[in-house]
Amino acid sequence: MHKVSIIGAGHVGATAVYYIAEKNLADIVMVDVVEGLPQAKAMDYLHAAPMRQYSVHISGTNDYKDIADSDVVVLTAGLPRKPGMDRMDLMKINVGIAKTAAQAIAEYAPNAIVIVVSNPLDIIAMTVLQESGFALKRVMGMAGVLDATRFKYFIAEKLGVWPGDVMAMVLGGHGDSMVPLSRYTRVAGIPVDELIDAETLESLVARTRTGGGEIVSLLKQGSAFYAPGASAAKMVEAIVKDEKRVVPVSAYLRGEYGYHDIFLGVPALLGKNGVERIIELDLTTEEKAALDESAAAVKDGVDTLRSFYSPG
Amino acid sequence: MIGIIGSGNVGANTAFFLAEKGVDHVTLYDVQEGMAKGKALDMMEAAPIRGYRTTINGTDDPGEVLDADIVILTAGAVRQPGMKRDALFEKNRNIIESYAGKITNPDTKVIIVSEPMDVLTTVFAEKSTLPPRQIFGLGGLLDATRLRFLIARELKVSMENVAAQVVGRHTDDMILLRDYCCVSGMSIENFLSPEKVRELFEETRKAGALIVEMAGRASAYYGPSAVAAELAEAIVMDTGRVLSVSHVLDGQFGIENVALSLPAVIGRTGIRKVVTPSLTPDEIDILKRSAQSITQTIEEADHA
Repeated sequence: MHKVSIIGAGHVGATAVYYIAEKNLADIVMVDVVEGLPQAKAMDYLHAAPMRQYSVHISGTNDYKDIADSDVVVLTAGLPRKPGMDRMDLMKINVGIAKTAAQAIAEYAPNAIVIVVSNPLDIIAMTVLQESGFALKRVMGMAGVLDATRFKYFIAEKLGVWPGDVMAMVLGGHGDSMVPLSRYTRVAGIPVDELIDAETLESLVARTRTGGGEIVSLLKQGSAFYAPGASAAKMVEAIVKDEKRVVPVSAYLRGEYGYHDIFLGVPALLGKNGVERIIELDLTTEEKAALDESAAAVKDGVDTLRSFYSPG
Repeated sequence: MIGIIGSGNVGANTAFFLAEKGVDHVTLYDVQEGMAKGKALDMMEAAPIRGYRTTINGTDDPGEVLDADIVILTAGAVRQPGMKRDALFEKNRNIIESYAGKITNPDTKVIIVSEPMDVLTTVFAEKSTLPPRQIFGLGGLLDATRLRFLIARELKVSMENVAAQVVGRHTDDMILLRDYCCVSGMSIENFLSPEKVRELFEETRKAGALIVEMAGRASAYYGPSAVAAELAEAIVMDTGRVLSVSHVLDGQFGIENVALSLPAVIGRTGIRKVVTPSLTPDEIDILKRSAQSITQTIEEADHA
């Protein structure tokens, strides 16, 4: 049985546990700094096991030692975004949390593949990569899967079609700076521009960009966790089942798409080795310009990170 | 309730896949006495292990399935090695047409799997009182599923990430739409050379015949059953899946009164909406020729 550790037993982490358990993907360890919280949630899940009939083991802990030999570690720890709060506002606090987690992962689960969910995503991923010293393909961020699933849902809702028939690829950073590619968005293979007019599609793109914010403002406190939890679990599944799934992944780039030393959302093949291949698309001038803009926003964040924190 | 007429390999496997999908109720029928009952009982005895809640009944009385929400017609002879699908028309026409007169529930959706599928769908629709949006033939969806498999196998990527559309006739004249093949939304051009794509298209065209030859006697049934179950599920669950199904066209590309596969949005009422794909002039020619050949096959049989 595979082992997956979820760091952070908040809503996103606990929801990811739900999807992983329901699919019997792996034994699960939930880690949190709050005493009793991961233990309680793990126990609660086990109480549901006789009904839901999952056979994986689920445990909770406050001790990083228990993540020993995990195949995959999902990092969801960090403070959530409050209404009106920019992702960058969270940076300082969450970078500190990520640093501690990355060191623990390197020590106790040195062969793990790490999926970063905490925001600001691209920056936390960079922190984890630096602190863990892991191979590039073993550290990735979950962003594009979430942005894409929101975009797919909005398209399916508009057309009255099954969401599972919609495919979409998004590039770039998470949220406001993501680059949805309508050219790579299709319904059962049919290009979306044959089904939806340009203006409507643009409104769906805009809604996707602010999809996370829409949930935050509805909830008043807290942020989305069902779709983020499902997105993280989908990536876990692709890895533990070696699915060779083609999804948008925030991956470390070394010249792909012309960028260096940056985590940016790109199409990639996910399998047991992590990011097994980055797929480079021929972008139009407009698409490349949008991606440049997105990359610049991420770069700014990373530069800020370096200004107040130097790894070591 | 989903009724299945014909409890051979396709009919029985369709029932089995539907049970695994968790539909409420399936009834199998076959002219051969006892066969439907036996297979249904066998499947029910697997339920405690497989955990499905579907009730599967078998019957020797066709009357028990004619009223179903969905009737899946799998009855008739199947292809032998070296045989074209059209050679089955004479044998299967009477069976299929006889059901057109008997299925009178105005809400029933009919899925025709028997071959030659587009021709049988056309004659069924002619005889039936049901509106064309409730009568489907399984063609493009099966061809597209085979193409998806071949592309995913070639690229070594997850099959769920591959989409494809195949339209037209479920024969060698099927039209495989290169521009609609993609991996996670990204055009197939990003992954395969035009030559390789052509090769996979050719393999798809021959896929049905290859299975007949390999198996030596029976024609394919896992693939056909899986897509029959998929289509039935899309109807029952009212999902709005976009699937290429054969149905009587009403003017698309100038074609009327002949059933050919085009992508359609599927729901509880049958076809909610047909998606007219962009085709090249050559592809439109093939589609028109296919329509003519179906009309001709029927006319020749009428005058034989």
